[in-house]
Order: sequence, then structure tokens, then C-alpha cells
Amino acid sequence: MTVIPIPWAEALGATLPPLVVQAERVASTVMQGVHGRRRPGQGDAFWQFRPYLPGDSASQVDWRQSAKSDRLFVRETEWEAAQTVAVWCQADAAMDWRSDAMLPTKQVRAELLVLALSALLFRGGERVRLFGLPRAFAGRGALASLAQSLPRQAALAEDARIPRHARAVLIGDFLAPLEETRRVVAQLAAGAVRGHLLQVLDPAEETLPFTGRVRFHALDAAEEALVPRVEGVRALYEERLARHREGLAALAAASGWSFATHRTDQPPETALLALHRRLAPG
Amino acid sequence: MWQLGPLAFAVPWLLLALPALPVLWWLLRVSPPAPRTQSFPAIRLLRDLPPNEETPHRTPWWLLLLRMVAAGLLILGLARPVWQPGGGGGGSGPLLVVVDNGWAAAPDWPARMAAAGAALEAASREGRRVAVLATAAPDTGEPVAATGLMPAEEARARLAALRPRAWAPDRVAALAALGDFRRAHPGAFATLYVADGVEHAAEGDAFTPLVAALAEAGPLTLARAEAQPARMLPPPRAEADRLMVRVLQVPATVATEATVLARTGDGRAIASATIPILAGASSAEAALDLPIEIRNQVVRLDLEPEAGAAGTVLLDERFRRRPVGISAAVETSAEAPLTGDLFYLERALGPYAEIRRGSPEQLLSRQLAVLILADREVPEGREREALARWVEQGGMLIRFAGPRLAERPDPLLPVALRAGERQLGGALSWDRPQVLAPFPEGSPFAGLAPPAEVTVERQVLAEPSPQLSERSWARLADGTPLVTEVARGQGRIVLFHVTANAEWSNLPLSGLFVDMLRRLVALSAGVRGAESDAPLAPLEILDGFGRLGAATPAAAPIPANQVEATTASPRHPPGWYGSAGQAEEAAWRRALNLSAHLPPPRAAAAPPAGARVEAIGGVPAERDLGPWMLAAALLLLAVDLLVSLGQRGLVGRHWSRGARAAGLAALLLAAAPARAEENAVVASNATHLAYVVTGDAQVDEISRMGLAGLSDFMNRRTAAALAEPIAVVPGRDDLSFYPLLYWPVLAEAPQPDAAAVAALNTFMRNGGIILLDTRDEGSGEGMNPGARAALRRVTRDLAIPPLAPVAEDHVLRRAFYLLQELPGRFSGGQVWAARDQDRANDSVSPVIIGGHDWAAGWAMDARGQNPFATIPGGARQRVLAYRFGTNLVMYALTGNYKGDQVHVPAILERLGN
Repeated sequence: MTVIPIPWAEALGATLPPLVVQAERVASTVMQGVHGRRRPGQGDAFWQFRPYLPGDSASQVDWRQSAKSDRLFVRETEWEAAQTVAVWCQADAAMDWRSDAMLPTKQVRAELLVLALSALLFRGGERVRLFGLPRAFAGRGALASLAQSLPRQAALAEDARIPRHARAVLIGDFLAPLEETRRVVAQLAAGAVRGHLLQVLDPAEETLPFTGRVRFHALDAAEEALVPRVEGVRALYEERLARHREGLAALAAASGWSFATHRTDQPPETALLALHRRLAPG
Repeated sequence: MWQLGPLAFAVPWLLLALPALPVLWWLLRVSPPAPRTQSFPAIRLLRDLPPNEETPHRTPWWLLLLRMVAAGLLILGLARPVWQPGGGGGGSGPLLVVVDNGWAAAPDWPARMAAAGAALEAASREGRRVAVLATAAPDTGEPVAATGLMPAEEARARLAALRPRAWAPDRVAALAALGDFRRAHPGAFATLYVADGVEHAAEGDAFTPLVAALAEAGPLTLARAEAQPARMLPPPRAEADRLMVRVLQVPATVATEATVLARTGDGRAIASATIPILAGASSAEAALDLPIEIRNQVVRLDLEPEAGAAGTVLLDERFRRRPVGISAAVETSAEAPLTGDLFYLERALGPYAEIRRGSPEQLLSRQLAVLILADREVPEGREREALARWVEQGGMLIRFAGPRLAERPDPLLPVALRAGERQLGGALSWDRPQVLAPFPEGSPFAGLAPPAEVTVERQVLAEPSPQLSERSWARLADGTPLVTEVARGQGRIVLFHVTANAEWSNLPLSGLFVDMLRRLVALSAGVRGAESDAPLAPLEILDGFGRLGAATPAAAPIPANQVEATTASPRHPPGWYGSAGQAEEAAWRRALNLSAHLPPPRAAAAPPAGARVEAIGGVPAERDLGPWMLAAALLLLAVDLLVSLGQRGLVGRHWSRGARAAGLAALLLAAAPARAEENAVVASNATHLAYVVTGDAQVDEISRMGLAGLSDFMNRRTAAALAEPIAVVPGRDDLSFYPLLYWPVLAEAPQPDAAAVAALNTFMRNGGIILLDTRDEGSGEGMNPGARAALRRVTRDLAIPPLAPVAEDHVLRRAFYLLQELPGRFSGGQVWAARDQDRANDSVSPVIIGGHDWAAGWAMDARGQNPFATIPGGARQRVLAYRFGTNLVMYALTGNYKGDQVHVPAILERLGN
């Protein structure tokens, strides 16, 4: 686990406006936020005046409105709740890899994006959850504890405690078989969670720049593959990768999710901007 | 041995492996290179790739070629290739290598060794046993003998130990040694004879029988240097003012030239003569023109191109400054100024010859080249006999006429004299004093121009005789002889018909007299006379190459009177001989020269018909290529290893960054000396005052401002042009550019380290001045507590001379201004300078110590104002401070030249007179 300096993530997030998640339906939580629930409740925005009913306390009476007529009115505010965004950052041996010492590992880039996104959300008053952790983070000071909690998140983006109608952002390389990803997304979608998949890849994984006779070995398994002449299989590899990505995009679209890609040799701002546009209303 | 043009292989069957190379090619092609390993997360996508038929993996063609070349070189190298193998001497049995290692072999000795070495090389390859026979006697005094048969490797060591000798080969002894060898090793053997091609005895040495005996024993190869004729340089002939050098050589078909270099005792060549040698000529001669003073310094003549011991002639005192004895009839008055008999002789000969005084008997008891008798009769008896004997042996007797000789002529005269003298131009004579006629051809004085003012008033006259004209070396204008000579035995007698003083003629007053005597002395054959038979031990001997070295154990002393007659041999190698106690006195060294007794070199007889003749030199020696090929193969394999590692990713991109870092480090290191050099350029472009950096920024700034103010003052008031002052750290910066170093001593100043002490001492020794300022003297008492202790600490290791207060008449007080006091910011203290005058550095005191805080007194800030008030104060003190600074800098720049003012009264007085 690489520790991302929080100021770095905050500085990255500072280039974008606070992120208020577009929410047709806010997650079913009682937490106060900025999303009006179109019903009276706790909140700052005016909702309606209703006639005084016995049992209302006198302090609830809106005297200015009541003075206009003979009846007493009570002022009700709209129930405003915060949206919850569940974020997940793939953490395994394959993520902790880079093809060149000048590049960040995929893990570093993914965590940076998670933290920057969280910083944006906190500034917008939203709540951020990590998969596998009991409670959500909120408030400006929560970024540090979120960063500390990152290692404790679940290995898979599966958590029954995610509230319905929450939003989810999953960041990883998603090189696992499509079925695995489809199962995760389908489970979340069943909970009415809408979400976004961001595939972070190393440039070498996209272009396969090696030449000659190369013995490839996996990072987390004993798997090996001997390629006699890498130049010869490059086109085939690229085609396979494109197919894999198409599959990811298709499974995302099937659940109403979206899918985007990001390379570690690109600046993280582009990925963050894409996430921001995806999540922000309008 | 299998030969292919100039290339031969010692182990040719290994070449059969060459056809296996294509198999290797095929094997290398089909076996893939080892893969490089690469971790890769997306390996799942690479799973189950279909076999790709269009691009099979393959070792790159250039790597394949590299490996093939390496394998080929390996095979060729192991087959022991030899480039241009030597002939090996022919035949198949044992090999006898006969080497002429006399003086004639020295010039091309390496080529001879190469020729013999090639034969040994070949013999070693063929496994033949070898014996070596050197024809010149070894310097141990042992007889000439052949070695036994031995493996070629051992014989090579014997051969390498051979040196050319500084004497002739003894082929008669070699023939005898060959007989012994054949008795010890009956049976046929092949011979390589590396011959010098010279007959070394006048009547022919045993070359022909030796060659015939060798040819009889088996196949004979004769290696000879055809292009280089043997040369020698016999001892030169001394003539008046020059040495005639002769070169003898075996007649050659083309005209060449040789150069004779005259060298001094320390090896400097001070003159050279080029001698053209015509085609077919066996000798040639040229003159080595040398003034006598220079000639006296010459101790050896060398023939160029190098000709070994026979081309080297050592010149002992016989060729040098001659001992000249002078004797007069009356010794007491002989030295009287202007009138004495010997007064002019001594002055004329003194610069060129060693003059000895005494009676003839006394003089002849030592070695003498020339004896001059000035108007001294030789009475009958022992003295006359001794003189006659000495002249017979080669002495030169010069006599001057005079009243006594005119009265009593004796037989030791070149011509018979008439009794009485002839007077010309006297009061009772009509004749005019006679001038000299031009010197006749054949006279040693030929070429000298007699000045018109030299006249002769009186002379003795010779009886007319038929030989008179040929015995006359100089005549008067009317034809009467002035100088006559006659040869007696190996020597000669010369008579000047006038006196040796200015009584009879003004010849002794003229420069002509000096020239005539010089030529006569130069003409003398050298030292003659009593030579004892005391043994002269060898001091230094010549080796075969003509280099001087320590005497060998076998070298024996020679009796002094036998040196001339001794022929160089192992017992008496050429070189310097002398008695050990007199070794320093060069005049007592006698030279034994090899070439003195050598017959002129003659070409050796033609070899017998069956012999094969090879040329030495010009043909490159055989070269074993095997090790080179193996080394090249290993190099290629190392390259291949690196390339393979690179392909597997074990070396690679990390190198580039390492190399970049190393390059940056190298650049930084290189920049440091560049900076020092830049400082040196700045410092040497103009005169700078300098101050020692103390580490206290404020004090250093005051030093800088002070020296800047002083420089400014001096640029306005004096001719000195001073540039910006420079801060220096002794031991780090080069101090040699600065005349003056200002050094404020702080209380906390540390003791300078060793490097700084060395730099400061060198600075002072080379004339630099250090002004040490404790800044607490006089009116500044107590301003800088602890400075005295610091001064002691700082100067503990410096070479400070004894000090004294600067005296009233010290140059420092008047180098530019006349100063009573030497104030700075403070005034009234004592200033100290070196007590003793040291002529080495112009009597300049290397250190001046005081405490007037001069820098603060001189200091000038950027606006041109003096930031520090003087104490006790006043503009006058400031001016005086600047004046002291001016005097100080002038003192540093010009030394004590103002000190010479003390001589002004004496100079004026002398001018007035």
C-alpha cells in the first residue's frame, strides 16, 4: 500500500469545483445533505406552509405568515440529505506494477484518484463510503481518516451495507475475467446503485512495447507465458485488449453504468475531470 | 609445419575443425537465444496465443556472425599461425648458431639478434637442439667456446645474453672451438652463421677456413648485412686549430656520408663534421673546426650513424690543452714587466696552454708538449742530450733568439746561424725596420695576416743553405727568414729569429704573436717525455656499442708507457685508464681506443658455393599470431556475452542513468581545476595586492577596503598600476602572483596548517612580503586583546628571520616618501622588519610586523570616503598612513633599489673626478 500524501490529493482536487453528486434518487440514508428529498424534513430550504396542528410547538409557528390571515401557519423545510458515493480501489499485486521507473504504479494512480475524488465530494458536502467498512466518511477533515482506511477496504467491490440509490466509483485495471466484474456490477446494480468503472492501465499493458523473445510471468500467480517474438503478437494482443474493454463497456452499459479508461502516463487531472463530469449534475 | 604464402601453421591438423563452422552456424540458428524475463500483469491476455508462423524467433545475423568469427579465430589461433616464419637454418639435425659479436656487429645488433632469434624460434617449433658459438672472446677473459647442445628455449636465453664486444672477433679461436665442438658432438649439424662481413686481420683472419669447416659439417646459412658497410673512426690528427677526422669503411657501391660528433664529458655534442664518402672509397676525411678553448672540452668523438666501439674515440690530454714549459737564461729578470724575456710569452700562452716554469731539466722530468727557450743557450752536456732525446721522441722545442744565442749558437737550431745579429733601422744604418712578408703556403701560420705595424729592428741571420727556404715558416719583407723549423725524429725545433720580448721587434706586442704561438702549440704532437711504467688501472671501459661503463673484472692495468702500443682486447678493453688516485685529474687519464690499432676494414671473402646467403634486416621478423588471435576471439566472446545479457534485459536502461550521473560528476570534478586556472589568469594579468582571509567577514571587508583604498591612492600618485585586491587562503590559492600579503591577526586566529605554512614559507623565500597586523599598537593599545598570543601562534611554524625595529635609514622609510613614522589607523607603535640583510632577495625583509591597523587607515568605502577615523586623528595621519602604504608597496615591487642612495656621494665623487 502506497501512502498517498493527502495534500497532493487535495491539491489535485482543488483544480475542480466542489462535487455535488447528481442524484435523482439519493441513497436511503438519514444523513443531512444537499439533496432535497421533496418532502418535509430537516433541511435549510423552504418547503411549504401548513396550517398549525395541535401538538406543534409554538416555536414552529411562522409568525410573519400567520399575521397575514387569521390562521396560524407552520413553516416546513424540505428534507435535504447527502448523497453517498461508494468508492473502491482495486488493490492487488497486479496493480502494484509499472513498466518504467519514471511512471507511477497503477495502484498509486488509482489511490490518488480515489482521494482526489473524495476531497471533491467532501467539499461538496457529500459522503464517501469504502467497501467493506461500516461507516461513511463526511466532512472536510475526513480525508485523512479515509486515506488511513484505504488498506482496510474489501478486496472485491461487494458490500451489502451499501445503501440503495448510492453511487459507486470502481477504479482498477479490471483485467480479471469479465464474469467477475459482471457479477460485482450486477450485484451493485441490484441494489439500485449506479456507478462508474475506471480502468487504469500502464502504457505497456496497452501497447505491449517489448521485443524479441520474452518470458512473461504474472505478478500474483505462478503463471508464465513464453512469447517467442513479441512483435509478432502485438497486434493480436491489442485486439484482445480492445475486446476486453468492449466487454467491460457492455457490461457497464447493461447495468446503466459507465466505463472509462485511463493510462498512468497521462496526467491524473484528465481522469478526475472525466469522473467529475460523470458524477456532477448537468 | 604447413605453409601458406607468408603464413605458416605449427599445428595444421587443427585447421580441420574449420569445416565444422557451418555446422555451428546451423546449430546457432536453430537454437533460440535465451528469453528475457518480464513481469506483466496482463498476462491473461497473452494466454494461448496461436503459433505465429510468419515470424520465427532468431538470433540476429550480426550476433551470429560475431560468434562465427570468434569460433574461427579460436580455431586459427590454436593452430599456432606464424607470419613469415624464419628459415630455421635448413637441414634437420641439431643447429649451431655462430654469431660474430665483434665491434663490427654493434650497429645492427638488434637485426642480428632477430635473425638468430628467428632461427631459434623455428628450431623450437621443430624440436631441434641448438648450440651457440660467439666468435669474439667474452669479456670474462675466457677463451672462445661453443655451448653444448641444448633445447632452443635455453639457447634463446644464451643468445639474449650475448653482447657485441669492443674488440674484433677471434675467428682463429672460433675455428679451434668448432673443432672441439665437432669432437664432442660428432655427426652432421646445420649452421646459421650471422657474420659481420669484415676481415679483421690485415692478412686475412680465419673467415674462409671457418666457413669451409661449417659447410663441411652440414648445410650452412650465412646471414650478412649487405646494406651497411662496417665503419670505424681512427683517432684524429691534430692540426693547428682543428682536428682532422677520418672515417674508414668497407668500400660501398653508393656514396654516403658520415657525421662525427664531438662531445664533452657530460655528453653534450658541441660540434659536428659531416664527411662525404664516395662510392667505392675506403676512407674519407674532414676537418672538425674548433676553437682551442672548445676543443679542450671535447673528450670523445662519435661516429654517426652509430658504429659501436670502433666509431668512438676518446680524447685524452694529448688532444687537449698542452703543457708548455718556458725557460729563460736568467730566471730572476725573466718576469720583469714589459722587459722580461718571458713576460710576453706567459701572457700569450696563458689562456690556451698550461705553462710550467723551470730549467729544461726540471721541465723535462714531467710530460711536456712544447718547451720554449727564450734566448737561452744549451750548453753541451746532459741538458743538451736530454733535450735532443726529447725532441727525437716527438717534443716541440721553440727557441727565441737574443744576444746570448747570437754569440754562441748550438746544434739544437733548425739552421746554422751567423755569429752576431743584424740590426735594421738603427742610428747608424740606412735600413728601415722591416715588416713581415705574407706567410708562405705550407707554413702553419698560413692564413694569418701580418699587420703592417709589426716591424723587426734586429734579428739573427741564418747561413744561406739550400734548405733554408723550405725551412722558413715566416720571412721578412726582404726575404730573410724570421721563423725557421726543422724536424728531428718525431719532433721538431722552431726558431724565432727575434727575441721573446719587445727589444728586437714589436712582434711580441701584436696579436699576431699570440696566434703564431697558439698554432705552434696546437701543432705539437702532444705530451712527450718521461712516461713511467707505472700501471694505469681501467677506470671506465667502452662496451661494444661505444657506451662507457664500469670496468669488467677481467680488464687489467696497462703500464703507462705501453698504452699507445696496446691493442684493445678482453684483457685491455678500450676506455679510460689512469691511476685510481688521479681519477679526478682528467689530465692524467689515458685513453685506449679500439680503432687506433685496427687495420682498415676489408670485406670478407665470398662464402663457399654450397652456403645459402640471407640478408639481415629489412625482412620483418617472424611473428607468432596465435596469442593475438586467441585474444581477439576472447574479446569477441566477451562482447557476445554483453550483448546476450543485454538481450535478456540484465543490463540495459539503468546504465544510461548511471552513465549520466558519472558524466555529471566528471564534469564537476573537471570544473574545479578550471576555476583555479581562471583565478591564476586573473591574478597574473595585473599586479594585485592580496590579503589573507581571516574568516571574520567584517575584518575581511576592512582588509579589502583598505587595500582597495591604497591601490587607488597609488594609482593616482605613482607609476604603479594596481588592480583590485584579491582575497587569498594560503595553502589553497597560489600565492606566487602577489608581491604583498596583508594579514590581519585576529585573537582567535588558528595555527595555519602544514600546507599553508609551506605555501607562506615558499612565498617569503621567493621574495614576497607579508605584512602582519595585530591592530593593537600605539594609540590602538588594547583594541584587539589576545592578538599578541595569536601572532605567536600564527607565526610559530613560519620561517621568520630575526627581527629588529625598522631603523631610521631603513629603505621602508624612503622607498617613495621620506617617513619619520609609519602610522595606520593607529600611530606610535613599533614596526618590525628583518634584522639582517639577505642578499638573496635584494635585502627585502620577507615579513613586516606591526599593529597600526593599516587596512582601516587606508580603507575607502564605495563612496570614496574613509569609514574609520584615525586615532589620535587628523588628516595628517591619514596622509601619512597612505604614504606608508605607498612606501610598502614600492618596497615590495622594487626591492632595495632606493637603498642604493647611500652610494650616491661616492658615485658623485667618482663622476666629479
